[in-house]
Amino acid sequence: MTDYWVSKLFFDLQQDPKLAAEYRADMASVIGRYEIKPELRKALLEDDVGTLAPLVNAYLLRFYFQIRGMPEAEFIARLHALQAKKPPKKEAAHG
Amino acid sequence: MAELVGVFAASHGPIIARDWEKMPRGHRDKLAAGFDEIGRRLKACRPDLLVVVSPDHWVNFFISNLPAVCIGIGEEHDGPPEPFMQKVYPHQRLKGHVGFGRHLLQTALDSDFEPALSHRLRLDHGTCIPLWRIGVDLGLPIVPILVNDLEEPMPSIRRCLAWGRLLKRAIDDYPEPLRVAVLGTGGLSHSIGETTMGWIDEDFDHACIAHFRDGEDGRLAAFLTDALPRTGNGAHEIRDWVIAHAAAGSKGFDLIDYFPSPETLVGAAFASWKLEA
Repeated sequence: MTDYWVSKLFFDLQQDPKLAAEYRADMASVIGRYEIKPELRKALLEDDVGTLAPLVNAYLLRFYFQIRGMPEAEFIARLHALQAKKPPKKEAAHG
Repeated sequence: MAELVGVFAASHGPIIARDWEKMPRGHRDKLAAGFDEIGRRLKACRPDLLVVVSPDHWVNFFISNLPAVCIGIGEEHDGPPEPFMQKVYPHQRLKGHVGFGRHLLQTALDSDFEPALSHRLRLDHGTCIPLWRIGVDLGLPIVPILVNDLEEPMPSIRRCLAWGRLLKRAIDDYPEPLRVAVLGTGGLSHSIGETTMGWIDEDFDHACIAHFRDGEDGRLAAFLTDALPRTGNGAHEIRDWVIAHAAAGSKGFDLIDYFPSPETLVGAAFASWKLEA
């Protein structure tokens, strides 16, 4: 289920480096400009990948956590910890 | 009349640009060799125009307004906005081709296709990584076709085949003597931002390659329609390869190289198609 406003926040952050810098400095203030539900505001502030992942396009999710400064290896590890939407047919080939 | 002179495809994972200098030398050399060979073949066919079929990675479009297909018909397009791209491909303006862009758009509309149009697109890493690595001359005009490969629902494989045939017909019907090449970008399998992120589905990739070689559209469409929902989301970019494949007349292709590239999170592939006589 897509959450429009979380998606819009992620899209805007990707489009606007100044907004991204502002977000890094004061997340709550930027989040407050969007009609984001309280439980999702909490998920954003806590970098809760698992709550956010089903609500936004997967590419926007990746861009967002890059903007947040989360190392890609950690982002991937957090996704893998959620596992199981559909296990790969073979062992994952990522390094 | 214009003429189709070459059809190619290459992967475009952003890490290719982001980590190019940091990548293990041997792996980088393999990637470079694939792109270089496409560059050599593209140059040999002496194109006057390059049609690039690629996704938009949330640069031009958002879920508030997301075309299934958009044709860039402007005189110019903007270079990549991503900071990691600007380091390696610092070109702010890329040359378009109004005449062929409008002709392709009109041909599509006259054939009951309804693409969106843009007089100025921002061309992200999906288009520009191949342009950068292949070494496409900045003087070569490009007509971008952006396909929704990122957000479901997406154009059917059947429709992508029809788009490829339409592109070929538009080239054949263009009234000026233009040598046109086509480049599909993206794929093969990869998984981005989902719980299988990093997964490279080699079985899927080898099956794709077999179907492109085989050249039979019905089998290709049946395979992809069945397999795409069961592999990583990045594989949806195979639509751009399918459009290239059908533009070339579905006569089979020459795989330049394929290898899983965990360093860039994609099944890396490079190919050119056989053209209709």
